[in-house]
This record gives sequence, C-alpha cells and structure tokens, in this order.
Amino acid sequence: MSETLAKTEAVVKKGKALGADEVVARTTFGRYRQTRFSNNEVDITVAWNDYVTDVALSWQKRFVVTQIHDFQNVDETIKRLYQLAKTSKENPMYGGVANGKFHYNRSKADRSIENLNQTEYVLEAIEAARKEAGPDLNAGGIMFSKLEDVYLVSSEGPIGEDCRSAVELSIRAFSQREASGHGVECSSTIKGFDPLRAGQKAGELARMAKNPKTGVEGRYDIIFDPLFTGALLAMWGSMTSAFQVMIQLSVFVNKLGQKVTSDIVTMRDVPASYSMANRVFDDEGVPVKENVLIDKGVLKTYLHNTSTAKIFKTETTGNAGIVYPGPWNLELDAGDMSKDEMLRDVKRGLYLTNTWYTRFQNYATGDFSTIPRDGMFLIEDGEVTQSWKDVRISDNALKMLNNIVGISKERQHVHWWAEADPPSLSPYVLMRDVQITRPK
Amino acid sequence: MDKDIADFALSYAQSKKVDYAEIRAHTEKQEGLAMKNGVLDAYFVSVDHGFCVRVLADGGIGFASTNKWTKEEARAIVDMAHKFAKMAKRKEKITFTEEKSVKVNWKAEEKKKISDVPSETRIETMAEIDKDLTSHGINVPSRMLQMGSNLTDKYFINTEGSAISSYVPRINVFAYITVVENGKPEQTYKQFGYSGGWEALDHWKLKEQMISETKVLQRVIKEAKAVKPGKMDLVCGSEVAGIAAHESCGHPMEADRILGREMSQAGRSFIYPDGPFWLGTRIGSEVVTVVDDPTIKSSYGYYEYDDEGIKARRRYLYKKGVINEFLHNRETAAKLKTRSNGSSRAINYDREAIVRMANTFVEPGDFTEEEIFEDVKEGLYMKSFTEWNIDDKRFNQRYVGREAYWIENGELKHPVARPIIETTTKVFWTAVDAVSKKVEYTAGTCGKSDPMQGVPAYMGGPLVRLREVFVK
Repeated sequence: MSETLAKTEAVVKKGKALGADEVVARTTFGRYRQTRFSNNEVDITVAWNDYVTDVALSWQKRFVVTQIHDFQNVDETIKRLYQLAKTSKENPMYGGVANGKFHYNRSKADRSIENLNQTEYVLEAIEAARKEAGPDLNAGGIMFSKLEDVYLVSSEGPIGEDCRSAVELSIRAFSQREASGHGVECSSTIKGFDPLRAGQKAGELARMAKNPKTGVEGRYDIIFDPLFTGALLAMWGSMTSAFQVMIQLSVFVNKLGQKVTSDIVTMRDVPASYSMANRVFDDEGVPVKENVLIDKGVLKTYLHNTSTAKIFKTETTGNAGIVYPGPWNLELDAGDMSKDEMLRDVKRGLYLTNTWYTRFQNYATGDFSTIPRDGMFLIEDGEVTQSWKDVRISDNALKMLNNIVGISKERQHVHWWAEADPPSLSPYVLMRDVQITRPK
Repeated sequence: MDKDIADFALSYAQSKKVDYAEIRAHTEKQEGLAMKNGVLDAYFVSVDHGFCVRVLADGGIGFASTNKWTKEEARAIVDMAHKFAKMAKRKEKITFTEEKSVKVNWKAEEKKKISDVPSETRIETMAEIDKDLTSHGINVPSRMLQMGSNLTDKYFINTEGSAISSYVPRINVFAYITVVENGKPEQTYKQFGYSGGWEALDHWKLKEQMISETKVLQRVIKEAKAVKPGKMDLVCGSEVAGIAAHESCGHPMEADRILGREMSQAGRSFIYPDGPFWLGTRIGSEVVTVVDDPTIKSSYGYYEYDDEGIKARRRYLYKKGVINEFLHNRETAAKLKTRSNGSSRAINYDREAIVRMANTFVEPGDFTEEEIFEDVKEGLYMKSFTEWNIDDKRFNQRYVGREAYWIENGELKHPVARPIIETTTKVFWTAVDAVSKKVEYTAGTCGKSDPMQGVPAYMGGPLVRLREVFVK
C-alpha cells in the first residue's frame, strides 16, 4: 500500500472509530498546468498543485462532507465532521454508499503530460491557424494539462488507486474582427495529440467566416459541428442525472422507457481511456462503465450513485458524485453520413460551429436559447454560400433531440470551457427545423 | 495562515531577477448545505488555505500556487512561476502600471458572526423556508435550496512594499423552485448574497420573497396572456435593469476583453481600439449612467482593496450615455496608458486575478415610480427575468420576462407570459428616457476566465423606461 493510500485509509479508520456508519475518503494530488494566450502571444503560464482529501461520512442517515488539505489537522477535522453529522438532520431517502470489493482496470494515464513545454504547442497551433486564416490572424486560447493521482478508501470495501491525465488545446482564431473559428484538440495522453489540427480547424473556419452578414430569422435545417454537438450533448447528458430529474431541471422527468428522440440516436456515457475524463472508479469506488442513456431513441436510464439508485429502485451506474451523480464523458454513436452528404441534404440551412451562453426559461419543458459564435454559415442547395453573424437558436431541447435526422461517421473528442463540458465524442449532426432569431 | 511562509516566498522571489512579484495567501472557511424537497442531502464544511506567486520577468507572467505550506514548496512554486514568465517569449513585453504601495488591514463588518451560527440553525432556517413553500396552498413539487458561507482571510504582499491583510465573510442562498398548476410547470431561480454576518437573513426576508415568487409563478400559469409582438414602451424592473447593466455595460467595459485577453472564452467587446465605440462615444441616452462600485458596504461584491493591492472606488462606466471609463487591472491600464481602478479579483489563491466587476448598477434618476408608469399609454412592465443571454462581444442580448404585466394608461393590468426583448446594447440604452429614484440590487455570481472563476457580484438599478422597443 502506498503512503498516500495508507494516510487516506487512516482518515477512514478515524471516522469509523468515532462511530460513523460509513466513511469514504478520496485523496487527489493534482498537478495542473495551463498556458493562456491571446493576440498570438502567451499571456501567462499557470501551475497549481493541489493536495486534497475529500471525505464523506454518514451517521444514522445523516450525510456530511468535508475536505482535508495536505493531511493537515486530520484528527480535528474528522472529529468535527462526526459531531456535525450528529447535529445534522436525517435524510430518510439516503441510500448509503457502495458496498463490496471491486476489481479496477489499470489506468492508462500518461505521466509525461505534467512537464510539457506548453508554449511550443501553443506557438505551433497559432502558426497552423495563420497558414489557414492569413497574415492578419489574431488567435487566443489555452493549453491545459492535468495529472491527478487519486487514492480512494471506503469503509464499505472499495479501495483503489487511479491516475488520471488530460491534455487540451483550445484555439479561437480571428481573420477579421467579426470572423472567427474555434478548434480544440483533446486527449488523455500526449500520444496522438496534435495541436496543429486545432489550429488548422480554427484558421480554416476563420477564413470561411470572413465578411459575415447579419443573419435572417426563420426555421432552418442545421448541421452542427462536433464542437457545437459537444455543447448539446452536455446539455442533454446533464439532464440524465437522477439528481436533475428529481429537482425537475430536466426534460427527461418520467420519460424512462419512452421515445425521446429519433431512432438514429444512441447516446452513452463512457469514461473511456481516450477521454479527458478517464477514470477507473467513481467517487464511491464503484468501477465506472459504459451506460447507454438513449438507445435508438428510447431513454434507457438515468445516471445514478448508490443513493439515487435506491430511490429509483435500480443499481448505481457508477456515476457518483458522492452527493449527486453526473455524466463523465458523453458519446453520440456514429451515424452513416459524411459531412459532405449532410451538406448535400440541405436545401436552405445553416452550418453552425460553436455556441455559448445556453440558458433555459424552463428546464421541465425544455424552452431555451443559445448563441452560436465563431463560424456560422448559410447553406443553399448543398453549398456554403454566406458567412453569418448575430443570430440565436431559440427553441426547445426535447424537440431538437427529436429533430435529429443525420449523424456523421466522423467523430471528434471535444471539450471546451464551460460549454462543451463534460467532454464528449461528438459527430456532425443534421437537425431539421430549428428556430433562429436575431436582435431588433 | 502561516504568513512567515508567504513572506519567505516573496523574499525568495526577490532574490531572483524579476521585475515584479507578489504573494497572495487565502484561508477560505466554507460551510454549506443542500436541501432537496425538504430533505437535507448533505452538509459541507471545509478550510482551504494556500498561496500563490505571480512573477513578471522578461515581459512575461508566470503564476504558481500550492496548498502545501512549507519553505521547500514555496521555493518550488516561485521557481516554477519564474521559469514560466521567462518561457513566454513575448515580442510585446507586458508591463504593470506604477502604483503606490499600501500597508493596511481591512475587514467587512460582521454584526452577527457567521462562525457563531451552529449548523442546526442553518439547517432549521432552510427547513422552515421549505415548509413555508409547501404549506401556503400553492403546489411547489420541486424545491432545491442551498445555503453557503465563505469566510475569506487574505494576505497580499508584493515586491513594491505593499502588505494588505483582509477579512470578508460572505453568505449566500440559492433556490430553484418549480410551481405546477393545472399540470403546467413554471420555474424560477433566486439568489441572495451578502458580505457580512448572519444579519443578512434580516435583510433578505427569505420567506416573504420565496412565497411571493411562487404566487407570481402560479399567476403566470393561470392568468398570463401572450403579448402581441411589436414596438412598445417597456419598463424594466431593477432586476432587469441590473442584468442589462451587468451584461451590456459591465462586461464590454472590462479592459482585458477590450484588449482581447479573454478572446477564446468569455470573448471580446464591441468596444475596441480604432473601432466605432471608444471612450467618449455615445452608447445611450443622456439619462443613462451605469457604475460599478465595490465599496458598497455589505454588498455581495464588496471589497476595499483589489487583488493587486489597489484601493477600490466607484467607476463611472457609461456616464450620461457616453462610454466613460473601463474596468482595469495593472496590466490593462499600463497597456492603455492609464491607471488601475482596482478591478482585479480572484476567487481563490489558485487562480490568477483578472479584471472583474463588483456591483454594477444603473444610477438613480429623477422620476418617482408613479411618474415612470403614468406616462405609458400601452406597454409592458418586465419586473424580473428568466432565460437571458448575450453574445460574446456583448451587443446582441435577450431577456425573457418572468414576472411581467401589461400597462394600459399608466396602470398595471394582466400578467404577460414570457415576453421577450431581443435587441442590441445600443438600441437598449438609447431607448431609455426615464429612470426612477430608488435602486435595488440582486445578487449574482459572475462567470469568466478559464478555469471558470465565479465571483460574487451585485447587479441592480431603479425602474428604467424604454420607449418604442420591439417586444415579442
């Protein structure tokens, strides 16, 4: 047993010795590095080291959580936590944490990620964008790497170590003041990580986006770029959390077993080794697995931890969140179309490449709007004919899910900021009849 | 907090060839609870304390942080930040403005100490709110209530001789509720925030506000009618005026956005060098003055000195309808050849301080509330909003009314179902012809940067009347 795992176990033993029913402790030693750039230059390089142990403790269905930093004041903190549990309020719906011994897959994390010279990758991506967008390029973005050693011990049996790595380069390229494109390159390992790809994509879209015209309101068929699809998957995927369902911040309330989208849609949550969200166990120590959320259009499951699973009379899906469950890495199954075939299928529509600021009027009904940004293009008779600006999607999340008519064979692992988050494996998506509005 | 370690880190940074270095140490004592449909899901406590170093060397900036309080770790993060700064290889060297060094201790007033409030009281307070929500005759099938407090001690020192210690306690409540009537749901989200102590509860009047909100939602479901789309007069309540002030004045006036430093995430601004809008350009009518002021005592965005040690003050962003003053930190101010106005904020020791708003609001005007309405023949009163968003240059925005009423001959008539104003910054502020006297504030968490930093903020205003704008 490693020293850190032993210290983590000691936290659990202290809680049990005081009289706690269950204790789960998870220590993360995280090394995070980020280079931020704009105007084609590096603005700042940042490193943060974090030594933290998350502790969850239950006593007679009272559930309390805390954090211990760098194993400081462990005795005092656990004692206080236990006292807090005793003065807390019973949660009659509390269903406990996972029980049993589990076997975990071996982590395939890449430890070399910690010491990359990020500046070099950034400058390469900028140059790749410049080749596409031209000499007036103005690019900004981030490169980020994460290396986490994770040690988990539960009084209910689970015990294990994990290493989680991720690397990401996100670049937004401007060819003109209002002509931009965004590219991302995301991976769990440096092998195959290609910043040029992100730079080229951003630069190409920025070039295509030159001289945009103000868009026109109406209903359009839309081709969503994988980055935009990533934001949509994040929206739909988060609504499959049993927690969101219970507080009605979801369009999927009471829809298990029902058709929620067209037959061609199969959506999964898969914290696979390629993903930036790679992991071998969840926050209770349950081995993570692939969960099919929507199977050929039918909603199959919500995402659960042990406690929400008991409320819904089912099994945990390995998606704890010690308090609330959520998705790790969403996948939309590949379809049978190419991007070109999608284009040919559109008589008058739009190709939208990125979005931000998605906000709901009502999560239960699904009414919302979101603002496309970066390249947005008018398609006429199967060809991109204009670059657009200043439009908004103002529609309904459930209706849009039902209007998916095409999915590409090609998929990309994407993550961007707080929008395409959690990460996903996203294809191009063709959707019918989406409402576009604009300011007056 | 071990200030000796922080002092050691600064001396060690000074021993290197740096143009500037600072250490910022935080202790964040957090406590919170989440109550779902009357059941306490979890209670959270934590003490997080760590420190960061920011170094300016060779025209580049390096930043590193840790929560391990040892000299060895201090040396390691200083070395790392120094190395990062030199690695930047910038053609255009970054500089900071020259500012006076400051030695000061300051703290926010805390009449009823939060640390004296036991967990039982906090839980009981929220349980009572939940009980009130479910026992006044309106069907509220879903309630998510959260209460949190954060006691922040900071210690800031830099190579120019500044040394600032501060303490700010903050408390907040979030509520998501769903009202169902005749099978139809309406939802709302409310946030309350305060810098100070448990006396916040006396100010907020949570029970009255939450029950009132459920009545509004029920009335919307039962009585609200759609508005006939077209141009009309629009009276914005303080909540709507506040979000517009925040989104279409505060954000575009952040100098880091103006200079492109946030271009890939939060975006840029419709204001930029050599563009159609700059300092001195008219953006609104004569009656529009929007300010940002961190110095309002007890406000959620309250502070006396920013995270670069600069004294805070009121900033006049749009003054009498004209673009007047940007929000600056030392980096942006140096670039635009002015002085920092104390707008640099970070949410914790492990995040870079960047240009942020604090409390952004429309300044009061001369009109009584009666006068604002009495001159409207036909129009709409949008008291509060639900869905909203704005593009990343902060020009194309949309606000959807949550509580709204039809106005006829100066009188409020029936509720209106989700009226929408989707317009531009210029159209919005130019259409304002009257502003009332009394400012009210709403608490919010302003998101920006990567990794995301959500900072406490107020947004607010009086009643603001717009003439002949398109509402649908």
